Amino acid sequence: MKLAFQLAYKNLIGAGLRTWLNVIVLSFAFVVVIFYNGMIDGWNEQAMNDSIAWEYGQGQLINDKYDPLDPFTLQDGHGMLPPEQTKGLTPILLRQASIYPDGRMLTVALKGIEAAQSILDLPTEKLLDSKAALPALIGNRMAASANLKEGGEVLIRWRDKNGTFDATQMTIVGIFDSNVPTVDNGQIWISIEKLWKMTGLQDHATLFIVNNESKIGKIVGWGFKSQESLLKSLSDIIQTKKVSGSLMYMMLLAIALLAIFDTQVLSIFRRQREIGTYIAMGMTRWQVAGLFTVEGSMYSFMATLVGCLYGIPFFMYIADIGIGIPPASRNMGIAIAERIFPVYGLGLILGTVALVVTSATIVSFLPARKIAKMNPVDALKGKLQ
Amino acid sequence: MKYLLLLLLCCGPVTAQSEPKAASIIKKVDENMSSDSRVTESQMIIHGRRKSRTVSSKGYSEGYEKSFTEYLAPAREKGTKMLKLDDRLWIYSPATDRVIQLSGHMLRQSVMGSDLSYEDMMENRKLTEMYHVKIAGEETINGRLTWILELDAKVADVPYVKRKMWIDQKRFVPLKEDLFAKSGQLLKRVTMEDIAQIGGRWYPRKMNYKDMLKDGKGTDFIVSKIEFNAPISEHLFSKAVLKK
Amino acid sequence: MIKFLLKGVLGDKNRSVLPIIIISIGVALTVLLSGYIRGAMGDIINQNARFDTGHVKIMTRAYAENKSQIPNDLAFLGVDSLINELKTSHPNMIWVKRIRFGGIIDVPDDKGETKGQGPASGMAIELFNTNSGEIQRMNIPSSLVHGTLPKQVGEALIGQEFVDKLGLEIGDKVTYFGSTMNGSMAFKNFTITGSVRFGTPALDKGAIIIDISDAQTMLDMEDGAGEILGFESDEIYDDEKALELTEEFNARFVNNTNEFAPIMLRLKDQNNLAGYLDYVDVYSAMFVTIFVIVMSIVLWNTGLLGGLRRYQEFGIRLALGESKGHIYKTLIYEATLIGIIGSIVGTAMGLGGTYYLQVVGIDIGKYLENATMLMPSVIRAQVTPELFYIGFIPGLFAMVFGNMLSGIGIYKRQTAALFKELEV
Repeated sequence: MKLAFQLAYKNLIGAGLRTWLNVIVLSFAFVVVIFYNGMIDGWNEQAMNDSIAWEYGQGQLINDKYDPLDPFTLQDGHGMLPPEQTKGLTPILLRQASIYPDGRMLTVALKGIEAAQSILDLPTEKLLDSKAALPALIGNRMAASANLKEGGEVLIRWRDKNGTFDATQMTIVGIFDSNVPTVDNGQIWISIEKLWKMTGLQDHATLFIVNNESKIGKIVGWGFKSQESLLKSLSDIIQTKKVSGSLMYMMLLAIALLAIFDTQVLSIFRRQREIGTYIAMGMTRWQVAGLFTVEGSMYSFMATLVGCLYGIPFFMYIADIGIGIPPASRNMGIAIAERIFPVYGLGLILGTVALVVTSATIVSFLPARKIAKMNPVDALKGKLQ
Repeated sequence: MKYLLLLLLCCGPVTAQSEPKAASIIKKVDENMSSDSRVTESQMIIHGRRKSRTVSSKGYSEGYEKSFTEYLAPAREKGTKMLKLDDRLWIYSPATDRVIQLSGHMLRQSVMGSDLSYEDMMENRKLTEMYHVKIAGEETINGRLTWILELDAKVADVPYVKRKMWIDQKRFVPLKEDLFAKSGQLLKRVTMEDIAQIGGRWYPRKMNYKDMLKDGKGTDFIVSKIEFNAPISEHLFSKAVLKK
Repeated sequence: MIKFLLKGVLGDKNRSVLPIIIISIGVALTVLLSGYIRGAMGDIINQNARFDTGHVKIMTRAYAENKSQIPNDLAFLGVDSLINELKTSHPNMIWVKRIRFGGIIDVPDDKGETKGQGPASGMAIELFNTNSGEIQRMNIPSSLVHGTLPKQVGEALIGQEFVDKLGLEIGDKVTYFGSTMNGSMAFKNFTITGSVRFGTPALDKGAIIIDISDAQTMLDMEDGAGEILGFESDEIYDDEKALELTEEFNARFVNNTNEFAPIMLRLKDQNNLAGYLDYVDVYSAMFVTIFVIVMSIVLWNTGLLGGLRRYQEFGIRLALGESKGHIYKTLIYEATLIGIIGSIVGTAMGLGGTYYLQVVGIDIGKYLENATMLMPSVIRAQVTPELFYIGFIPGLFAMVFGNMLSGIGIYKRQTAALFKELEV
């Protein structure tokens, strides 16, 4: 076997430019596969991290009467938990309200959260620091759609638990920039203590963010959604991207393999006398076929090496600066950061090497099978077959 | 400064006395405005951004809990019926021959795109049951002398915790009313016109409701016919009446 | 000369068939992949265009300002005359009207009373007008889970999750309840002909898709529509054309102060798409360049191989007294011929494939287990003008270049050595 590798190496290096062209093309495919998947994995990881950090925590305990997709359930979809059960839980209370920027009426979801919380990345400490009567946080998407600025005021109208109207000037004390649009669009965040006072729903919550999943038992009237189930639709979307991209690099790989195939066909055609010699020396025809196959798969090893040569600095550079994502894709209702930083897992790299090596070996073997059918005498003579 | 003191001195006794007086005023207003039951024929003129339109209806109500409305015009609305019992609301539309039940939150939606919610329209409780009253001054509106009353809710389940009413001193009918949020923010303004004597009481035949936070001209509500304390068949307040 | 060479090329299978096949495949892949990259990268744009922005969109000024609230009270009236006018002035575009609406879908029990209800997220499109292309554009056939498309007024498609939740079946009746353009109550019964799943939870829960005529009657919007969308007939966004069209259209209303006067927005001016469009241009150009380089290397190699294959032949020809220069020249001519044939065949194949992928697309939905597909699950390629020539770069130039390089060997080698290769 060692001999096979040595022979293969000598033959390839001997072929010069032709070999390097094949190697370079295959290494391109190798690098593109890793790059694309690294980018998707990076996006996936970042989107999951962001969603956990901004919205999901370790899972959510949601009131049974509340359906996030049905705003009509906001009115009654809340309740209280006995204090001993709220350990490790951050309550969030949702109420419907209207704001009136420039004489227009906008319906918003008013969300109360503990100002001292640290489970979510929302900069709620700004609510604590402010001396305004009703300090509020909004995201930059909301700020844009309602034309609100930091330090600006807007009239907000809501109803308390009895349906009595109340209204006051609300001060925007902070505009946060989150990659997660679902904590931003159409929402206003205030301190939950304030919201309890405003509505008279002391200690009520629509949902709880769970700090530590394992502690959640079954609680009547509440449903637990694990982090995983909350993240499901996100990972599905990212999966879609992965499949659509794989078609692209599979084609690239196919071309590289086509080149190897072509080279193999020619080399078997031109080296019949060599083949005949091997057989004359006592190798079986299948052994010779193996020899040529090894020669073909050698391309993939060299491509891996060459790919690493320019790929590693390139990957490191990209992982450092990230890839910019334009704003449109950030408004699609899923978490996408301004810059995506690719993640190159060991599994991805080894998997790609395996893919490249296996496929290169297969396309090298296909023409090599012909050897097994050769007439050794004719081959030795170099007769065209 | 001297004048201010004098004014304060004069006002002192006025406010002290005004509680019982205010109560009797509001009681007289209730006598005019409120009734155990009523049958109303009315037009609602909704001033949209584009055009105004008029919706006519006939309404029956008994107390605060029960009301039944049938729309008469325009053609699109004709035959649509609405029944409200407590906080449940059913709507029947002849075009679909369906009775649709709406939950309580729908009562807070605007009626036919107007500045009134269903809740506003159904409000028929006596002011004296809901509010503490005091006199806050006097003012002349359209040549009629009015008391300015300030109403503070004494029960929890009222949409407006504070109201300000301008009551005609002779007829005991409100000519203007401001509705406030808990915080004191003015939310809505109702202006009454065309005060007429109907069945022995003074009653405004035209009211304009205006959401003060929004731009726009508000909604006019014109009563063409109203009958107070008329006997209403219980049948009208049952679901059977809808699908007919 | 060319005729002679062509004869040789076609006659000698070894000289022609394999290289032509390889070049054709390579060129076809180049063309296909370039088209695919354009299409796949543009999927967000495409998705936006189909579902929301159109290539251009006409609304009233007031509607445009409050667009996010779906303000049907500010919708455009007099749609038909405007569309007719547009159809005459821009016959190569498709103009469609759409109405979005909210409200409640109510499901009756046996007695006709409410059994259950949920919020509606309604979309009225030109379902019955087959020329509108709306059914395909909105991806309805592949979103259809059960049943069929509505064929007549009073029929609707409903979101699958809603159907599941309330135990509905095809043929059941539901009632829409909402408010008309004027704020009056709107009611209408619909027979469910099918259920759809788009992959966005909000839509799947409350989607109701009906024909525009139903929405117009139901919402009191005779001759009205929230939005008029314009699409290029090939469904591919052309920013220059859109800009020109938009400027021309809006200039007509520049002195009209009415807030209900129409305004036209191109795709690029909506939903923050400007940045994304530029991004797609840059990145797809980058990918296509990489790809053309890769393909060129491969076909260059093919050229090299092609030359090598024929060393024996050259040996004989040299022995017969042909000059090296002449052999080299014919080699290049032949390579050019093979390159042209391969590139033409490959471009044709590639364009065919790209066109197929543009029209039919690749449904990757089946590779995704239980996926909720916010992103389009059908990936479409896009035929662009550059696809017509891009394949010739690797197919012709790289191939010829490879042959030129390998042909140099003719000069390097001794006639004797070449001739020796013929040794039998």
